[in-house]
Amino acid sequence: MGPRKTGLGLSGLLLAGTIAMGLTAPPVLAQQPAEVKVGLLVPMSGIYARPGQVMRMGAEMAVDHINAQGGIKALGGAKLKLVAIDSGDSTEKAKNAAQRMVAEEKDMVAASAAYLSSFTLAVTEVTERVNLPVLTLSYSDLITERGFKYVFQTSATAASQAEQSLPEIVKLAEKASGKRPKSVAIITDNTAASVSSVKPMKERLLKELGIELVVDETFTPPLADATPLVQRVRSARPDLLFFLPTVISDAKLVLEKMNEFGLGQGRVPTISFGIAIAEPDLLKTMSPALLDGVMTVVANWGSKGHEALMAELKSRYNEPWMTQNAISTYGDMWIIKEALEKAGKADREAVAQTLRAMDMTGGPTAYFPGGRMQFDGKGRRVGAGLTIVQWQKGTPVTVYPSELALSEPFWPKK
Amino acid sequence: MAVVTGLIMLENILQSLAAGLLIGAIYGLMCVGLALIFGVMRVINFAQGDFMMLGMYAAYYAFALFGVQALFGSTIGPYVAALLAAPLLFAVGYGVHWALVSRVTGTRTAGLDGDGHYAQLILTLGTALILQNGAMIVFGSYPVSVQTPLSVSAWEVGPLWDDYVSVFVNKARGIAALVSVATILLLARLIASSRLGKALRASADNPEAATYMGIDVQRSHRVAFALGTAITAVAGALLATNYPFHPYVGLEYVIVMYAGVVMGGMGSILGAFWGGMTIGVVQQMSTLILPTQLQNTAIFVIFLLIVFLRPQGFFGRVVERT
Repeated sequence: MGPRKTGLGLSGLLLAGTIAMGLTAPPVLAQQPAEVKVGLLVPMSGIYARPGQVMRMGAEMAVDHINAQGGIKALGGAKLKLVAIDSGDSTEKAKNAAQRMVAEEKDMVAASAAYLSSFTLAVTEVTERVNLPVLTLSYSDLITERGFKYVFQTSATAASQAEQSLPEIVKLAEKASGKRPKSVAIITDNTAASVSSVKPMKERLLKELGIELVVDETFTPPLADATPLVQRVRSARPDLLFFLPTVISDAKLVLEKMNEFGLGQGRVPTISFGIAIAEPDLLKTMSPALLDGVMTVVANWGSKGHEALMAELKSRYNEPWMTQNAISTYGDMWIIKEALEKAGKADREAVAQTLRAMDMTGGPTAYFPGGRMQFDGKGRRVGAGLTIVQWQKGTPVTVYPSELALSEPFWPKK
Repeated sequence: MAVVTGLIMLENILQSLAAGLLIGAIYGLMCVGLALIFGVMRVINFAQGDFMMLGMYAAYYAFALFGVQALFGSTIGPYVAALLAAPLLFAVGYGVHWALVSRVTGTRTAGLDGDGHYAQLILTLGTALILQNGAMIVFGSYPVSVQTPLSVSAWEVGPLWDDYVSVFVNKARGIAALVSVATILLLARLIASSRLGKALRASADNPEAATYMGIDVQRSHRVAFALGTAITAVAGALLATNYPFHPYVGLEYVIVMYAGVVMGGMGSILGAFWGGMTIGVVQQMSTLILPTQLQNTAIFVIFLLIVFLRPQGFFGRVVERT
């Protein structure tokens, strides 16, 4: 008898609940939401905590600016509310965090995630299923290769970055040193973004530019010692080194070892792809003299026109310059704001639809290179450009493209 | 041409060997700290990597903020700071044992299920989590390192053959290896011939009999725990010149420490050093024949081979003590 009685009780309760909800629902819906929740799912603990925290700074600044300027006007001035969630330091933790986020934050309209390409791949597997639009600054081509409908990649993909930047780098080298580089060494870690950058180079681009690949090394971060890797470079003596780290300690180990082996400071010009080598943190671990002239290709960077933001980031958070993590996440919040204005309601499906249909040249476009805010069928930003950043006297400054450049590039030669 | 190729090959081999020996010496010292704790107390300390992290930060702050750099300069300073980390972490280890570890070890656990190992496991794991996240709050998430010009310069050995075969020995790593070996020799002497060493060995061999002989086993355990913590902290501080670290750095090394201790033979202190050394050499030399990505896989293949062929490790005893 007992269990049956409980069953009846439960269904009774359910019925009562449904009636109660039915009664109270219309007034709640009729009201405009006081706050619109946007998510930021990035690593805030573990070895990737630092970039995640910088992304949070960018997001907080943007949300404050948006709210100070009157919030979402189409929603009666509703304020944005940032929900920052820690993705942890592994793909497994990132996926769990995403599951927690979608379960707990049912009214979240969009999110920005998740720094590392590997994490973004895992997180979007979860968010796609609940139709939550996710903006990402991650590079890997795979992210928008899977036919997902709710992922929007604001960065040029790794392959596209390689394709756009390699001819520029060769041109720069030729102009400055008087001879065309003929050989290159590639040292890369095995994270998704680095692998995606290197793949088209090895398959096609280097051959097209007539450059021979003389050293090809892939390592698992973090390295304990860079001796064997740099020893290969010493034996081969290439004209250029392409070095793609994700973890700061690897950047320090390789650059210091280059110097130790007499290859540093321009003897073998070093070019990176990705943000790690231009992080402010690098200065806390090594001398700026060893970095001078090192260049990196990044999807976005604090550039000409962002001076006020760079100054605010410095005064508010004590960040010496604006990396992609800060500026892209700042821009992401403005894209979401723009989508909410156009959608006219705080609904994730409506936001996703406006993002897909978006085509604008003003507003949030200012925060991304490439001059346009439109996403193609895969979710890639149409015409996404890039920036080349170079360490000059202890600061990485934008040197390419010329319309965004804050300084002239120089070619380290010895 | 064939000669040149051969010479380049020889240079690669010698260079990797040198790198392996240098990093191996520091791994060895880390392992010794852990082995001391395990050997004397039979406690599996999962927080060892995080104590090492504390040692690194202790050296960093001593160096950068508390005047060691100003007093001794950037060349000797890092090593003075590393040695200063030792007494500090000795105190931390002593305190942690007194407040926490002693409650689940020693005579208290006699007759408990699994000799109290379950409680020890949870306790040290919990301590590790608290240290990692506490450090993140206190020290911040950005990586730092003890900056010295030594880490970017090397002693060049050679050329050994005409213009070929030069081996570079990184100065910071070279000095760290020497300090590490000196520390181990000192410890070996302490254990072999001092009264304290005798008490430690007696408490390790047979705690009960040691008590009957008038040895304060609890105190021996406390000293062993503190000493083990201090030694691993010195290893961390020596590493800090070349390796940027952050609050989670312990996780990267605790596995290496365990593999080294097991390879050397559980409980053998000298064995732990050679275990750590083997890991360093295998990690660096495996790149000569295997892709660099598999560096750490190579370590564990060798580890499994050793466990399979010689389960007691290099220096372990076949007969377990009673």
